[in-house]
Amino acid sequence: MNLQENLKRYRISQSEYELICEQLGRPPEGIEWALYSALWSEHCSYKSSKVHLKKLFSKSERVLQSFGENAGVIDLGQGERVAFKMESHNHPSFLEPYQGAATGVGGILRDIFTMGARPVALGNYLCFGEPHADRMPELVKGVVSGISGYGNCVGVPNITGQTEFHESYNGNILVNAFALGLFRPGEKVFTSQAEGEGNLVVYVGAKTGGDGVHGASMASESFDDDNEAKKPNVQIGDPFFEKLLIESCIEVMNQGLVVAIQDMGAAGLTSSSFEMSSNGGVGFDIALDKVPLRDSRMTPEEILLSESQERMLLICKPENLPALKDVFERWSLDATSIGHVTKEKVIRLTWKNEELCSIDPDNLVENAPLYNRPYKKWVPQNRTESKDVSVLVDDLQNYQEQLLKCLSDVRGCSRNWVYDQYDQRVGAQTIADCRQDVGVIRLPDSERALSVALGCRPYVMRLDSHEGGKDSVAFPALELASKGFEAMAVTDCLNFGNPEKEELMTEFVASVQGMSQACEALNAPIISGNVSLYNETKDENVTSTPSTGIVGLRDSVYGPASMVEKNDEVVVLLSKVQLKTGGQYAEMQKQPLRAFGELCPQKTANFVKDVKSFINTYEISSSKVVGKFGLAYSLARMTLGSVGMSVKTDEVLPAMNFSEKYFSENLYQVVVTLSQETYSQIADQKFDFELVKIGRTGGNHLNIDNKISIPLEELKQSYFTGWGDHFESLA
Amino acid sequence: MKKIGVVRFLGTNCDRDIWQACEARGHEPVWLWHEDQFDINTVDAVIIPGGFSYGDYLRCGAIAAKSPVMKSVTEFAKAGCPVLGICNGFQILCEVGLLPGVLVANDHGKFIDTWVELKQENACQPWAGEKMNCRLPVAHGEGRYQLSEQELALVKERGQVWWSYKENPNGSVESIAGVMNENKNVAGLMPHPERAMFDWMGGNDGFSFF
Repeated sequence: MNLQENLKRYRISQSEYELICEQLGRPPEGIEWALYSALWSEHCSYKSSKVHLKKLFSKSERVLQSFGENAGVIDLGQGERVAFKMESHNHPSFLEPYQGAATGVGGILRDIFTMGARPVALGNYLCFGEPHADRMPELVKGVVSGISGYGNCVGVPNITGQTEFHESYNGNILVNAFALGLFRPGEKVFTSQAEGEGNLVVYVGAKTGGDGVHGASMASESFDDDNEAKKPNVQIGDPFFEKLLIESCIEVMNQGLVVAIQDMGAAGLTSSSFEMSSNGGVGFDIALDKVPLRDSRMTPEEILLSESQERMLLICKPENLPALKDVFERWSLDATSIGHVTKEKVIRLTWKNEELCSIDPDNLVENAPLYNRPYKKWVPQNRTESKDVSVLVDDLQNYQEQLLKCLSDVRGCSRNWVYDQYDQRVGAQTIADCRQDVGVIRLPDSERALSVALGCRPYVMRLDSHEGGKDSVAFPALELASKGFEAMAVTDCLNFGNPEKEELMTEFVASVQGMSQACEALNAPIISGNVSLYNETKDENVTSTPSTGIVGLRDSVYGPASMVEKNDEVVVLLSKVQLKTGGQYAEMQKQPLRAFGELCPQKTANFVKDVKSFINTYEISSSKVVGKFGLAYSLARMTLGSVGMSVKTDEVLPAMNFSEKYFSENLYQVVVTLSQETYSQIADQKFDFELVKIGRTGGNHLNIDNKISIPLEELKQSYFTGWGDHFESLA
Repeated sequence: MKKIGVVRFLGTNCDRDIWQACEARGHEPVWLWHEDQFDINTVDAVIIPGGFSYGDYLRCGAIAAKSPVMKSVTEFAKAGCPVLGICNGFQILCEVGLLPGVLVANDHGKFIDTWVELKQENACQPWAGEKMNCRLPVAHGEGRYQLSEQELALVKERGQVWWSYKENPNGSVESIAGVMNENKNVAGLMPHPERAMFDWMGGNDGFSFF
């Protein structure tokens, strides 16, 4: 094969080829091509994003493990710690939705239990195209059943989700999976740092097959017309194996039989062995012919690059191998020693006693190329001089119709069709499930509550990437605060288009800076995550979508409900408005997105903290952060139960017109309901935010300013049947 | 306090939840491993938790039904001792023939996770004897209870229907959610009482089951 053919086959650029020649002092040979191809892929090396990721706010007194390992770990006090991370599986899910999404769940779970933590919560952040777009119902169905089929079987509850729809995802959907694992008091945190000359390199789990070969470099490319040809690159998962792997790995870790451990994710055996060796500063001698195979015809190159699922690589002392094998055998899994640790930091791969290569792992891991791709300074987008960013609606009848339209629109309707397919309560610790504003589980030892809120509102990103980045952290943090949780730390999944395009890289940098500023102001560091670039099809990029998962902690297992449950309560609006936008409603009306003002990270963080302490100081029955579609929609979401509400603000909020108040988005506001007695405690108090009594709960209508009066049954009808109207084939 | 054997197959995933529920009621749970038979005199009751035993390969519950531990469970049940199967445990008890009928894929073809209202049709003394109505979570893909007309008539006549759904979530015949054997010492249901033990879980109607 000539040079050009090799460069194409292994997806290596001319300049990277020259760098390889410089590292080796000669051109790459044989298996080395495959190693460089996998480990220098965007997916494994983060070569376009790393210079910016290094600047992220990532440290706080709670952080035990930040970037560099399979997942970040934070200390919750009282001996409890959690590991969590979010990861994308966008490319495989678009090609093969069921398996793509399923293996996304499997992969993120392995990242968690590799650390020694038992997975206890899952979440998913999904972005689909328009319902009528080509293949879209099939993609929605496939992705949801893939997540459901895998997550339910392994027995980890899916406690929260966010599902977005927009035309920019028509040709490239986003599937981001979040997982969280718990270390109970006394349980140890494990890392991937190999050590101890003479220790064994042990392969455990499923046998290696031909699936997913070259998956990492596939995921680092844009889509074109030849997507069918990429299908064999998608991995196949088996959640039953994963369940056995979770139980057996946790058992051997608890028994002290493991020195270091790493899952075989992207680029399979290659990345796990090279990263363990590079991180630990030791070498490996690996006999590839000892790797358990599903298909005996596999070549060394295929074995190295296979992304077969449910496999782990671990290091153990030779004397512990028999005990280790016993545990895996009990769980019906193979554990095979395929090599040993050597002192000198060199990876030597052999095939039937013949050396295939002998290479410094740092060449491929530490010294992978880094690109500071061109980008521009951020200029605020879509700003106006006018405070009124609302889309005008004229008569009374129209307001009612508009609110019902928001509730039934694909952007606003119930996602229960999705969530009902997930087991949300296995583990018997679920306090709040996907139907609630944030997912909540109980910590069994300290009996406190832990919450997960997902973030990134793509329409705010479409408005302005810098503000959108801040909002990706601030909005979920405020959702946590509205339930009394303190935001502890953040994981992110940066889904962007082609970084080689300057405007895209500019959005990337602006949004990552915005996120980092928001995190720093909240003292909630970003401790793990992943980057997914080249989310484009035929030159069309997806909306830049930096999704987040934020973990919060609360002392009590009880907190405010998401819906109004009690009659005769006072409805109060808490506000600190810095940015006003027509938001989701403007987008639904096909009006230009505009904004007035900007978010100050510190002011926002102060509001988040003030709301949290307000919620925990007074007895608050229900709460909701005003989000997409503005206040009217949020009030409607709070009255989808059996108790209605009457709100009147023309006297208390005279400065804004009706559309501004109820259909625009004023970042940020929180609605709470509380008893008369509680209200009398706060009525005369001074707060660092605006606090206005806007109404009263009760009745079986939602009444707003004499302009809207809708029976609760009608609200429910719109909200719960909306999904079926958009996805007839899925209803 | 009772000593309760909790059966674990490869793929069982509600095992620790049942353990927690037993402890919450002051019982002493002990593990029963799928590959091992046990002495039926060493436990007072047996619970088969939910999950995906053997990955639901072949069909749900089919492989578990052939396991060594089920030989002992059958012996235990035949001796008149209390056995409870929840979700996949219910499927296994049907497969092994300790309970009548069979559970197949939900009529809508999807996994369903939701809360359901249940009505007690006949009491089962060892498990939740006194509760007449309750609200519990379900989470299953294959929970549609089926049996022939002839068997159904017999099961009803003998008072073996334990719980029925007020709103049928899966297409079960006569909205049946749980049944007993003729002797009423073996019972199975699709809903998960262990997930409704305390108010913070969203309801506590499951408490009296254990």
